[in-house]
Formats: sequence, C-alpha cells, structure tokens
Amino acid sequence: MDGGGLVVSHDDSAAALAQGSAYSGSSVRRHDGDRYLQGHIAYSDDLRLPGMSHAVLVLSPLAHARIVAIDTEAAQARPGVLAVLTGADLAAEVGPIPNAMDPAGVGGRDVALRVLPVSKVVYAGQPVVAVVAETRAAALEAAALVHVDYEALPHVLDAEAAMAEGAPLLYEEWGTNIMLAGTAGTGSFEDVRQTAFGVVEGELRTGRGAPAPMEPRCYVADWDVQTSRLTWHGTTQAPHPLRHSIASFLGVRERQVRVVAPPVGGSFGYKNFGHPEEYLVCALSRIVGRPVKWVEDRTNTLRYGSRDMRLRYRAAFGADGRVSGVTCHMLANHGAAAATGAFGMALAGGLALPSGYAVDVFEAEYQVVVTNKGPYSPMRPFGKEASALLMETVMERVAEETGLDPFEVRRRNWVRSDQFPYATSTGLLLDSGNYEGLLDKVLEDFDLEGTRAEHARLREEGRYLGIGLGFEVLPEGADIPGALIGASDISTVRMDPSGDVTVLTGVTSPGNGNDTAIMQIVADRLGVSMDSVSIVQGDTDICPFGFGNVSSRGVLTGGGSAALAADDVADKLRRVAAGMLHCDDPGRIRLGDGMARVEGEPEQALPISAVAGALYTVGYIVAPDVEPTLEATRTFKMHNIRHQPDDGGQFNLFSTFSNAVYVSVVEVDVATGLVEVLRHVMVHDCGIMINPRFVVGQFTGGVVTGLGAALGEEILHAADGSLSTSGFKTYLLPRANDVPAFEIAHQVTPSPFTPLGTKGAGEGGVACSMASVLNAVNDAIRPLGASVNELPISPHRVLASLQEVDR
Amino acid sequence: MEQVSDTLVPLTLTIDGVHRTEAVDRRSLLVEALRDDFGATAPKTGCATGDCGACTCRVDGAVVKTCLQLAVAAQGSDITTISGLAPRGELGPVQQAFWDEQAFQCGFCLSGMVLAAEDLLSRNPEPTDEEIRWAISGNLCRCTGYETIVAAVRTAAERLGAADS
Repeated sequence: MDGGGLVVSHDDSAAALAQGSAYSGSSVRRHDGDRYLQGHIAYSDDLRLPGMSHAVLVLSPLAHARIVAIDTEAAQARPGVLAVLTGADLAAEVGPIPNAMDPAGVGGRDVALRVLPVSKVVYAGQPVVAVVAETRAAALEAAALVHVDYEALPHVLDAEAAMAEGAPLLYEEWGTNIMLAGTAGTGSFEDVRQTAFGVVEGELRTGRGAPAPMEPRCYVADWDVQTSRLTWHGTTQAPHPLRHSIASFLGVRERQVRVVAPPVGGSFGYKNFGHPEEYLVCALSRIVGRPVKWVEDRTNTLRYGSRDMRLRYRAAFGADGRVSGVTCHMLANHGAAAATGAFGMALAGGLALPSGYAVDVFEAEYQVVVTNKGPYSPMRPFGKEASALLMETVMERVAEETGLDPFEVRRRNWVRSDQFPYATSTGLLLDSGNYEGLLDKVLEDFDLEGTRAEHARLREEGRYLGIGLGFEVLPEGADIPGALIGASDISTVRMDPSGDVTVLTGVTSPGNGNDTAIMQIVADRLGVSMDSVSIVQGDTDICPFGFGNVSSRGVLTGGGSAALAADDVADKLRRVAAGMLHCDDPGRIRLGDGMARVEGEPEQALPISAVAGALYTVGYIVAPDVEPTLEATRTFKMHNIRHQPDDGGQFNLFSTFSNAVYVSVVEVDVATGLVEVLRHVMVHDCGIMINPRFVVGQFTGGVVTGLGAALGEEILHAADGSLSTSGFKTYLLPRANDVPAFEIAHQVTPSPFTPLGTKGAGEGGVACSMASVLNAVNDAIRPLGASVNELPISPHRVLASLQEVDR
Repeated sequence: MEQVSDTLVPLTLTIDGVHRTEAVDRRSLLVEALRDDFGATAPKTGCATGDCGACTCRVDGAVVKTCLQLAVAAQGSDITTISGLAPRGELGPVQQAFWDEQAFQCGFCLSGMVLAAEDLLSRNPEPTDEEIRWAISGNLCRCTGYETIVAAVRTAAERLGAADS
C-alpha cells in the first residue's frame, strides 16, 4: 500500500463463502448502472403526477417566538392558489406526528409535534404556514404575501446555557430543556480509581454536522377521493414504517396508505421517517383533493444537525497501560424536538461504549438537551462516533501518561479474539472480532518506526507531521423495543414459468448497491444467471414488510431472508428436477449455470427454466408431491438480540458489530492552521462480503463524511439563532481535491449470528476517521506543547491551540 | 391568472438533439426550465447556488452549471444532458467506465461528474490523478468518497488512449 491509489484486498471473503458461489463474494457491477448513467432513473423530484400542485412553506425568521396572528388573506387571493393553511387550521384535521422512537419509552420527555406549529416557533427556519398552488412559482409569490405577527422570546443555542437556571424553555410544559437523561454501564468508577496507578481526565467536543445528501428531501402525496386511499411518493429510507405512521397521523387504516419510494439520492439517516413535511403533504392533498408536492431546498437540509456533543471523561489505568475504569458524561445538543428518533444517537453513543475494549467498570451518563437550533437528525454512524472518539482519546492519554506506545496500549486493552461473544460493561454482546489482527494488517504496509523517524527529522525543518490511530466497533442491525425499527426484514423469492426470478424485499437501497448484492445471493442459491433475476424494493403495496435501510441492514437482514427464501425455492426445484431426471434423491440435484444436474451424471441435466415451466404446466405429472408454487417468503430472528433485561438491567439491541482500525498521517501547517491528510490506511472487518466493491464504497463514503466532520463541516448559527451556514459555500463538504487516496484492506471474521456471516457495513469509516485524524493532529502538535479537543479541527482551532501555548 | 401568464415567455432549445419551444416562466433558472418545462430531468437540483454541480449540462459546447443561468439567457442554445451523450441507448466511454468502476452510488451527482470528466478528457487525454481530482472538484459527491470516480476517469482515459493508438 503506497498511497498511489485505491488498494483493495478481499480474497478472504470469496474463499469464506460456500463453494459454488458464482456471484457472491465477487464485485459484480450495479445491475442497473446503465440506466443511472443515462439519466433515466426517476428520483422523487422527477415525478410528474397529473394534476399535481405545489406546496411552499412560510418559514419563521425568528429562533423563538410566539405566533400572535397570521394574515393569509392576500396570499389566498393570488391567482393559482389552492389553499393557505396554518398550524391552527391543520390541528383540527390531523393528529400530531407519530414518533419514530418515543423518548418517553426510555424515560425521556415527549412533545406532541404538529406538522405546523400552533402557538410558537422554536427555531429559525421552522415552517409556519403552507401555501398550495398550481405552480411552484405561484406558491412562492403567494407565500411572500403571508404576514405572520410574532412576539419574540429569548432563545438559547448552547446546550450548557439551556440547562442553566432561568434559561428560556422551548417546551414550557416540561419545566426544563432536558429531553432525556440516563446512564449506561457497570461498576463503580470511584472504587477502581482508589487503586489505580493514574487517572486521566478531559473533554471533547464535536461540532454540529449535517447529513446533507446530494438530493434534498421531496414528498408527493396523492389522496384519491374515489378510493379513499393515499399514495405517497418520496425520499424515504423506511416505506413500511412510514406508511404505519402516516395512517396514524391521518386517522385512517394502514391499508388506506401506500408508500412508494423511488430511487433515493443518498440518505445517511436523514431520510428515515418523522419529518413534518412527510405528513404535511398528506394532509394538504386530502384537503385540496389533488396531488401535492413539496421539495426541500439546500438551506433547509442544513437546518438539520447531528453530533454537537460535549464529552467529559475520566479514566483510571494501571502502570501496564490497562484501563480499569472509565466514567463519561455525554451532553448532546438536540436543537428543536423532532419525531425522527434522533435523540437515540446519544443513547447509541452511550451503549457503544467502551467500544471494543475490555474495560470492566464503565459509568456513562448522558443528557439530551433541546435548544433553539434546528432539529437533530439521524445521521450515520448514529452517535457511535462519540464512543470511538472518547475511547481513542483515552487510549492516547494513557499512552502519554505511562510512556507506552499508543498502539501497544490498544493491544493491551482490546477484547481478545478468543473472548467472543463478549459481553461489554454496557450490556452489548459483541458477536466476533479480531482487533489485534486489524492492527497487524495495517502495520504490514505501514512502517511505523520509519515514519516516526521521518517525522522527527521533518520537525527539525519546522514541519509538523503526526500519526494517529482510530478504532471503531459499530453496533448495527438494531432492534428497538416499542419502535418500528427491527432487525428482521422479510423477503420473497418468486420464480416464473419462464425461469425468471423476482425478489421482493422490505429493505430499501439508498444507492449503495444492496439490491444488486441481494440479487447475487439469490442467483447463486438458485443456480441461475444474474440476468434472470430482478428485484423490487420500496413499494408497500408490492413488497413484504421491512424496516427499509437503517442500522446497516440491507444485506444483513434483506439478504439473509432472501437467501433463506431462495433456498426454499431451490429445494422445490431439486425435487421437481429429480422427478423429471428419474433420480431418487433430490439431494443429488445440483443447480448451477442455469441447469439442474444429477451429481456425477453430467448428461442427466435440464435447464432450470424447463423445470420451473414443468411445475407450473405439468406439475401433476412430473411432480405430484410438490406444491405447485415456486415462491417463498422468509425472515429470521437475530439470536443475540435480548430485550429482556439481564441481572444488571441491561439489554442488547444490536445484532452485529463490524469494526475497523485506521492509521492516519497528517501534516499541520503551524502558520495557517491547515491540516492535510497525507495517508489514510484502513483495515475493516464486517464479516463476509457479498460484493466487496460495494462494501468498500460504503467505507470510502463514510471516510469522507468522517474527514469532513474532523476537518471542516460545521453548522454555525449567528447570535440571533439564524443559520450562518446556509449552503455549500459555508458548510464545507470535502471535495475531491480535499481528500487523499485511500489504502484499504479487509479482515474477514464471519458473524456467528447471521445466516450469511455478514455484518452491517453501512456506517463504517466515519467514527474511525474522526478519531485517527484527531489523534494524528495531536501527535503532530504535541512537540509544541499544544493539543486540540474539538472537532472539526478547523484552522482557527489549530491556531488557537498554538496561541494558548505561546501565552 | 393574468399575473402568472404575464411571466411566461417562449423559449426554444435543442436538447439532446431535439429542437423544441416551450412557454417558460421568465424568472426560471435554466435547470428549472429544463426539468419542469422541457421534461429533461437528467440534470438535478442539489443546491441551486452553483456549488454541487448536479445540474451540469453541456450548453453550446461548454460545461455549465445550469442553476447559475436564467433560462431565457439560453435562448436558442444547443444543450446536451447525460441522456444525450451516447446515441441509441448505448453508453459513452466515460459512462461505461463509471459503471465498471462503481463510480457512483445514489447517482444524483452523475450529470456533473460525467460531464466534468468528459470535459477534462477532451482537453487533457492523459490526466494525472491530481488533475482528475481538480477537474471534478466543482462537483460534490456524498456517497463514494471520490476514489472510484477518480479511478473511472483514469480508466476512461486509458481506454480512449488505447482506442486512438
């Protein structure tokens, strides 16, 4: 690995898959790539329904204010306007937005969120009035004529200030701004502190980041008066759960709602369900009796944030570098309340501690606080970046204090490969892993001592380079009690009389290729070519129930259940073929290359399409004992998920725990504060990979999100609470020339708990990159006596840390 | 309806070889007219401020972010979207390389990425990786981390070079 380009090694995965896999384990191309490349994919905003009208929302200019009066008369009078509606108008029509996850379910405070507020606004940019018109231009013109009279209230943007005595309250009925507080962990830190060799303590901060997929949100609701049925098209990760919640919102039966999700232009957590506009368009369509479309602009996507946490920690350690106990306090700035379950990021961040380290005593305390920033949004890796940052900082600090090599400190603290499945001090059951193996693999191509010597030499020239390690363990495949976020998705596999195969599945694809990977799995199981297989996702009238794409589930649960369903169909094909080929034992029928063959008798063979056709047309003759269907629907349960509390009151909500070790090399320009990533060496373990190239794509995308979070992306507000970072000129997504070439390798430790040995791979790379870059920057500037503890490590933060030393 | 129709003007464009005239709101951006009035939806609106590049088209031979131009300013222009890059449903060499190298995930950025890559290779048939990264730096991608996009442009350059020699 020389940094010259993408280096991928994945031989292990193909070898670990069952013999006879024609496709699984190989990086076949996207099945529909040609359609994407010709611009023939219709995304939500490309839909044109007959009679479609357009909704434009009037937004609050104030961060916190009471709504005194709304004058819609002038807007109503504009040509082409179909309706102008306020929160008060709609409150009589429809219920509050159902929670994707209810904070009250975990001891938090809930607020009945309306699609438009009735009495007050709690962030600048909050939608207040909806204008529906024949065209978007007409709606925009009318929206400009809506007059809202506000009474400004004091606002609070900072989480600590929001908890102070006398702080302005967003939701007065709570009597506080604390939405949720809780603890996770085992044992008493105080006890281990007494006997420890030393204790480190400190603080970390992460800036507010936006998921910012390239495609903003877009929803089209179509209430059909004749059938009393709503068809909803839009940017969603979770069609079935959304359908359930739309029905509840509208007060109709679930069967009266159909959700269709066209291909999505990236989601990253942002397009899970619970956003007000998802429901608002439904109410508007029912009122105006026509399809209503709402499309988001870029600025609005940047009102939704994640991370924005303050982490305080203390860690007790021995002279040998072993960490005996950690205590941490996590404070998350939620911004305004949301129904998306985004508060769960603090919970997941707490539960993911103490990462993959064997730390027996762990006390985590978390607080989620509402402020007058825009709402929190789910975003990969869903709070787990906090746990990685915290533990990787602890390990660095312990190395500093003990004088041990920071890489060696990790080795001494990692859960060993012979300890799995391993119960962590926060109650998780880590399925499998070989963390030392990851580091060994990184070091195969990274000359640690040589690089350190080179950095020492460069320091003599006034150049500051550093090496940093990052390590992540990502709880994935979540099953949340009481919420429509589960770890079991359903797939149907169907073979037609012609031998063509259709897969219907409840998981969706945000563009990552899981549809192609599921087709690979099914084609192999049935012994047919990929060309014979098609897949349908994202339509609740057609697909079996599923949770969409959240918590890295596509191949894990959708692929796993499709494999089981395909196996059922394959069994039937073998029985029919055995009858047709006069073979007594269906177990001797091999399916492959589109043929059913008797093992050891190659001339005894039939095309699989002929076998399928025969069952449909002459089943009573060729297969009298076989039920005449070539269709199966399956799912499975994750056997390591535990919702009943154990003796310590702990649960395991996650099924797989993919992991990675990264080593970054950075150079810090001490004159400008600019950080450049020179090398980013990564070894991942997400178990068996069905399509290694798709997996790598997930990681490289995550890495760039992580580099953005580490070095540049930050949602900022002006003192009055308005958004300062209102577009991509100020909210700085990494561009192609901002990131280095990556060096990537894999280790394959199959999960013992999933049908295919796969683990979630959709959230990898973000947390690890944030940690490795932070540690590398601190390694670079440590000789100057400086350190940074706040991300993104923008130039001004580097310069401030250096100036602190000068004083 | 008078005020609304007052804003409509006829706009004639040739889009992917098809010559057409439509009534367009004179306040529309070119990308809005292409998508809403001409039904050419291959270019996407990702930011409307010229930062993401998802709306990129070739306008009279130049690669243009169509959210940065008013539609009426394009009167009479010859516009190519990625749908018009290769005839009869085939893929051009850059499109083919993007497919082979898995150079996209959600695909929303493809208009910009493919046209920026084509533009680079038309001027510089043997670009270095650094030149490729610079050439696509006006286009944002949130999915891939850019690595495979760079690989695709490199592959396209190699194939085009081999075809020429």
